[in-house]
Amino acid sequence: MTTIRMVDPAGVSGRTKEIFDAVLRREATVFGATSVSNIWRCMGHWPALLEANWNRSRALMQRGRFTPLQRELIATAVSIGNACTY
Amino acid sequence: MRLGVDEVGVTELMGVSEHTRALATAAAALLLDSLDSERALVPPLDPGAAEEPAKALLEEIAAWAEAAMGHRSAPILWRVLAHNPHYIETTWRKERTLMGDGALSAHDKRRTALGVAMAMRGGYLIEYNAALLRRAGDTDRDILEVLGVVDHYTTLNTLSEGMQIESDIRPSA
Repeated sequence: MTTIRMVDPAGVSGRTKEIFDAVLRREATVFGATSVSNIWRCMGHWPALLEANWNRSRALMQRGRFTPLQRELIATAVSIGNACTY
Repeated sequence: MRLGVDEVGVTELMGVSEHTRALATAAAALLLDSLDSERALVPPLDPGAAEEPAKALLEEIAAWAEAAMGHRSAPILWRVLAHNPHYIETTWRKERTLMGDGALSAHDKRRTALGVAMAMRGGYLIEYNAALLRRAGDTDRDILEVLGVVDHYTTLNTLSEGMQIESDIRPSA
């Protein structure tokens, strides 16, 4: 059971809206998402955290020399080890 | 999984993950902290004093290490396991089978293994996998790229578990 209410992307403005829009564009391209995923919505309660992690996501997951598959393999294996079902 | 990996690829990924976690646990349990260390909870077996079939396995591992790591010596983890011929044989054969080319490339598997070892803070397996990757041509920047993914997913895993976020990402039909 989620312990926090999800931020509704329709109810945000300013920098948070810009980041949610960028997240959705990215997720729509990568896995056909039609709405911002919960992991990013939960960060919307604290815009500074959302922005810091979105910037790191872009730097670490979208730039570099590895292929998307290579990064995804590592990410999935780390998540398995951390027993993260998300 | 997205990105064109089928069930075989996913199973290979799970195999690489569990194998690396098991080896990292073994190395930590044996108090192995470095590839160069000769100190261990159980002293490493001197290959010259080993009996068959452990002797032949250590020779095989040393030949592999010469090509894959640049020095002809079985890494200490294998020399410790060699006290039990069944243990070293089944574990070494598993390593060779799981970490070779398959649906996933051997190189991608090794980078994944490094990421798993980093996430576990498994010092010995971090050195072990990094040495193999460097010998295969990976640079400091490549090692840091593995770490970047580990780092970022430690963030995301912490948030999603701490807040018990329900997954809303489903496999495409």
